Amino acid sequence: MDFQVIGKVLPRKDGIAKVCGKEPFASDIVVPHMLYAVTLRSEHAHAEIIKIDTSEAESMGAVCITPTEVPDFTYNERTVSIPEKTFCDRKVLPRRVRHVGEAIAAVAAETEELAFRAMQAIKVEYNVLPSVLDPEEAMQPEAASLYDEILLGKQQLKVKNNVACERNIVIGDPEAGFAAADYIVERDYDLPRIYHHQMETKTVVCQPEANGGITIWTTTQTIHNVRQLLGQIFELPLSKINVKKLSIGGSFGSSIQMNSMIPICVALALKARCPVKLVSSREDDIHDHVKFPARIKLKVGVTKDAKIVAADMRVLVDIGAHQINSYPLLGCMSGWYASLYKWQDFRFDGTAVYTNKVPGCAMQGYGNPEVNFAVESHMDVIANECGFDPIEFRLKNYVGIGDEFWGQGPTVKSIIKSCGVEEMLTVGAEKIGWSERRSSQAKTGRYRKGVGIARGFHTSGTGGPKPGEVIDYSSATIKINEDGTVDVLSPVMDLGGGTGEATVKVVAELLKVPYDKVELAIVDTRTTGYDVNTHATRGVYCGCGAALHVAKQVKIKLLEFASRILEENPDDLDLSYEPEDNKTIIHVKRFKQKQISIGEVAKLAQIYSWGTIAVSDSYRQRNCPPCFVAHFIEVEVDTWTGIVKVPRAILLADSGTPINPDMLEGQLIGSLSRGLGYAAYESTENDLETGKLLCGGFITDNKIPTSCEMPLMDNIQVYFAHTYEPTGPFGAKGIGEAALNSVAAAYANAIYNAIGIRFYQTPITPERILQALEGGASVEN
Amino acid sequence: MKTNTKILTSEFEYLECPTLAEALNCLSKYNGKAKILAGGTDLLIKMKSGLLQCQYLIFVKKIEALNYLISDKKTLRIGPMINLRSIEKNEQVKAYYSALFEAVRSMAATSVKNMATIGGNLCNGSPAADTAPPLLVYGATLKLSSMRGDRIVPVEEFFLGPSQTVLESDELLTEICLPDLGDQVGSSFLKLGRVSADIAKINVAVCLNRNGKTVGNCRIAFGSVAPTPIRIPEAEEILKGQEMSDELIVKAAKAAAGLIKPITDKRSTNSYRQQVSKVILEEGIRSAWQRAGGEL
Amino acid sequence: MEKRLIKVTINGKLRELFVKSNDLLLNVLRNDLNLMGTKYGCGIGECGACTVLLDGQTVLACLILAVTVDGQEITTIEGMGDPVQLHPLQESFIEHGAVQCGFCTPGMLLAGEALLKENPNPSEEEIREYLRGNLCRCTGYAAIVKAIKSEAKSQSADPGTLSE
Ligand SMILES: Cc1cc2nc3c(=O)[nH]c(=O)nc-3n(C[C@H](O)[C@H](O)[C@H](O)COP(=O)(O)OP(=O)(O)OC[C@H]3O[C@@H](n4cnc5c(N)ncnc54)[C@H](O)[C@@H]3O)c2cc1C
Ligand code: FES
Ligand code: FES
Repeated sequence: MDFQVIGKVLPRKDGIAKVCGKEPFASDIVVPHMLYAVTLRSEHAHAEIIKIDTSEAESMGAVCITPTEVPDFTYNERTVSIPEKTFCDRKVLPRRVRHVGEAIAAVAAETEELAFRAMQAIKVEYNVLPSVLDPEEAMQPEAASLYDEILLGKQQLKVKNNVACERNIVIGDPEAGFAAADYIVERDYDLPRIYHHQMETKTVVCQPEANGGITIWTTTQTIHNVRQLLGQIFELPLSKINVKKLSIGGSFGSSIQMNSMIPICVALALKARCPVKLVSSREDDIHDHVKFPARIKLKVGVTKDAKIVAADMRVLVDIGAHQINSYPLLGCMSGWYASLYKWQDFRFDGTAVYTNKVPGCAMQGYGNPEVNFAVESHMDVIANECGFDPIEFRLKNYVGIGDEFWGQGPTVKSIIKSCGVEEMLTVGAEKIGWSERRSSQAKTGRYRKGVGIARGFHTSGTGGPKPGEVIDYSSATIKINEDGTVDVLSPVMDLGGGTGEATVKVVAELLKVPYDKVELAIVDTRTTGYDVNTHATRGVYCGCGAALHVAKQVKIKLLEFASRILEENPDDLDLSYEPEDNKTIIHVKRFKQKQISIGEVAKLAQIYSWGTIAVSDSYRQRNCPPCFVAHFIEVEVDTWTGIVKVPRAILLADSGTPINPDMLEGQLIGSLSRGLGYAAYESTENDLETGKLLCGGFITDNKIPTSCEMPLMDNIQVYFAHTYEPTGPFGAKGIGEAALNSVAAAYANAIYNAIGIRFYQTPITPERILQALEGGASVEN
Repeated sequence: MKTNTKILTSEFEYLECPTLAEALNCLSKYNGKAKILAGGTDLLIKMKSGLLQCQYLIFVKKIEALNYLISDKKTLRIGPMINLRSIEKNEQVKAYYSALFEAVRSMAATSVKNMATIGGNLCNGSPAADTAPPLLVYGATLKLSSMRGDRIVPVEEFFLGPSQTVLESDELLTEICLPDLGDQVGSSFLKLGRVSADIAKINVAVCLNRNGKTVGNCRIAFGSVAPTPIRIPEAEEILKGQEMSDELIVKAAKAAAGLIKPITDKRSTNSYRQQVSKVILEEGIRSAWQRAGGEL
Repeated sequence: MEKRLIKVTINGKLRELFVKSNDLLLNVLRNDLNLMGTKYGCGIGECGACTVLLDGQTVLACLILAVTVDGQEITTIEGMGDPVQLHPLQESFIEHGAVQCGFCTPGMLLAGEALLKENPNPSEEEIREYLRGNLCRCTGYAAIVKAIKSEAKSQSADPGTLSE
């Protein structure tokens, strides 16, 4: 397809401000007369708060809030499900703490130093309760319980055995399926808690306004959900709450919800009656959220001719102390599993369990990297045990074009209309030299190389033909200025991946306006329609989908105004771009001489008082097309030290039309580094006695890959499949989360190919490798 | 949680001492109540995380007279205030003191090394301090000065335990001296970390002299396997006076691995440390031998 | 606590500042001087978000007491270039897609500039080694390394564009 701006590499709109250090992030916001806040956080994993004495802190001149001084409102930080499906267990400040590091009180003062000292002067009397730190122990009848009751929507719900929620799905007759299988392969997988490690720590600034309202600057992926939840908690009219859209210093899911520190800061500001700024220290931030861990039992039945006939997956998620949408998480996990391969008859049992740990939340993939690690490792195990080629086995069974895709679980389904799986596996195999791959037995010596493959996908958005349990739509406002430039007002947060540029490009493409004449306005909740969230890899597909939908209406309006001026039928007019004078014109089809620039149309519309050429609307995508990926990773294992290097990686993506090819590549390579972190380095564990984080909150002991852990530039190859998604803006789908999903499995599969040892748990550290090698761990085959 | 790494909450009086005399004077005057601040890359973190407090902070990094690296004839004298990056970039160090060079190269990252001093690395007393094993194998001595006078302490006697050294509270480390290493000398340093910029899971340094085909003098030191950086004399003895061979290296490394008693901590496990100690020591001996002109 | 007068040249301009003995350079730059390009990421020297140049060398503002830089020269990202006149390395970052969320970018740019001053034609390995204390969670580093490498190339190809 021939596009004017789509697919071109153009400088990102916020690039200049970012390289100059001038792009404001929430942590850079300064409001006159603001106070600085700090939170007091629990030292105990589980305790009742008997008494909090703030008198000394107050005598130091600080403003304090305690659980009794904030609205007694029970909420779930993440509001993307419909209310009846939202489980709520969280308070602004709790009277009972359920994990080390949970905030119990907060202090604001003129300087951060004073606030900190005042916080230290607060005296808390605890009644320490027994805690439970292991999810399986938590379900035992004698285990300490975190909650007696929580809310489902507005209904009270009893909690039994710390089970937060469950999801059991059966399709067809799995027992019959297994009975017909020639081979049945069963394994257990274990994926850790890891920390998002976004570079900007969570932040909020709240300014009380003269009209009784508040203005908020915060790290978030969703300004509108922040506003709505604050409205509920503080019983404020939404018209009096304004949340500003800002750049965010990375998120990866860490600010997918209205972070719990936001209402704390609001409560402080309302009490102090002046603006308050609360910036998490890194150690507070680590105690706020982790990626959902998972223990997965997977059983798959296959026939001799490599056809899958049945599957059974049991998932246990240790969600920690609060539900940040663990119910939809389980739904999604069932969907990620159901949509990878045609299992025929299958079962999914998912259980989310409370423990006295930092709450789990979405982190790039929302359960998908966990499920993908299990399934894609399993595919390799089966291929090895049954003697299939891992690639052919996958191609024989994958869910592809024409199949039903369960984007976000059983309630969000759509039919796949574009798919590059076969192309990617074929090209990837060729690039990595798959045909020369030898089995691990053929390898000797200290350093052993191996090649692994894994494939995956993510949904693009959570839309479907029928609205499910998940809210999904977006909005945009587009305005033609009187000089032919264009303003775009979009509520969609750009987390750094280039959603903003994509929006500009889509508008520019449709209206035939050059990229540099379209700007993204600085907006907030007051000036934009609703957008649910930059999550579910929906920024491009849904966010740009809405922008396209609005741009089409702007085009109609433009043509209509032009038809009055040119005295022609709107149907006979069209838009085109004139490169010579860098102008967009409206002209009579097939008679370009009769034309007028869009700037002139807008100007005349103003002079004649016809009005501004602007449209504001919302749009819901009615599909959720999967964006597919494949990873071919080469490892080199030092069998004497267990140290693994990655000499080569091939990253393949089917994201439909690549709107921003450079950003798409950036997403894939960035995900490679986070995926390698997940596979080999990261784990945020607790001391099983005290419930404290082993790293103590410091990243010194929570390492992520540095520039030296990545393969060299020339050894990372990126490939885009040639697909076009008919339902996407100019053929585009998403990429964001997909890019990560199969990295860890490809890595584990490569290690197996190198040394013949299968790892069912990440991170695959040198310690674990050496232990397995020395202990003669179950070497398969 | 009682820390906030965004700010430094503890209060103290700041004393800047541009000369050695002033620094010693302040140390004596505020004996026990003062702490020495050099690059601050250990000290400020300890203060931020609430592990350490003091009434006075004496800033010594700007004492120009203690910021040097002089190699005269065959000895090397290092001023404790020199930063790690300057040591890394020094041609003399790179050419003749491979273990020290490799240690410094492996440490932290550029910015930390621009700030951090070698004196601070030693005086901080970490069992994982990367410059310690090289200085141990070079047989370095440390000059500790106070108003009461100077004393010379071999590095071997300097470390007492984690964060503990023989430094008295009024003393300042004022010089690190590397003796004549003799002829046909070679040294090496190896380290394993979790990622490339990390404190050691384990590190090792080797320095040996070659007499034709046999090993002359030889020293081996490990870090991060005991409460202090330690030498392994038993393994050294296995090598000394023997004809160099692969078998000999393996024998010495195996013996060393059997002697260390590392612990499990946040960075690694005791068994891993034990296993890889052998591997890195073998490699260390090999490259030291080759650098001494030996063949294998 | 008592405040002390220090004289520091910041981005080429001599400033007289009153600071407390426990004020960190990071907070003086951000809160007193409104130079928000220097970021807090960890406060313990692990991430590089707070990188500034002190007498031309990269250092971490989160681990420096402001009182200790009296008489010295500091360059922050705001002193590297501005929107009207970008530094060539800043242009290169934009051109190579080295910026995603942008939070690590100021530190990366200053480190990159310091590297190129020290070593005008670094290898890819040398660039990676130099940057290993600057964490980026978004990009996977490749585009950043590419941006620095390509700027190194263009500098060595055309001495006319050498900065300063
Ligand atoms: C991100 C990061 C990475 C690091 N990586 C490594 C690593 O890889 N390997 C490693 O070994 N270390 C590492 N460190 C630790 C640290 O950087 C080094 O130990 C450094 O050399 C300390 O020097 P300094 O000048 O900063 O010491 P300071 O912090 O100023 O002082 C350290 C201690 O020594 C005392 N002291 C300093 N100088 C003297 C003196 N002359 N006489 C008496 N007492 C003195 C101080 O009072 C203090 O107790 C790392 C630190 C950070 C922040
Ligand atoms: S904030 Fe200074 S290094 Fe992280
Ligand atoms: S661009 Fe986001 S941390 Fe580097």
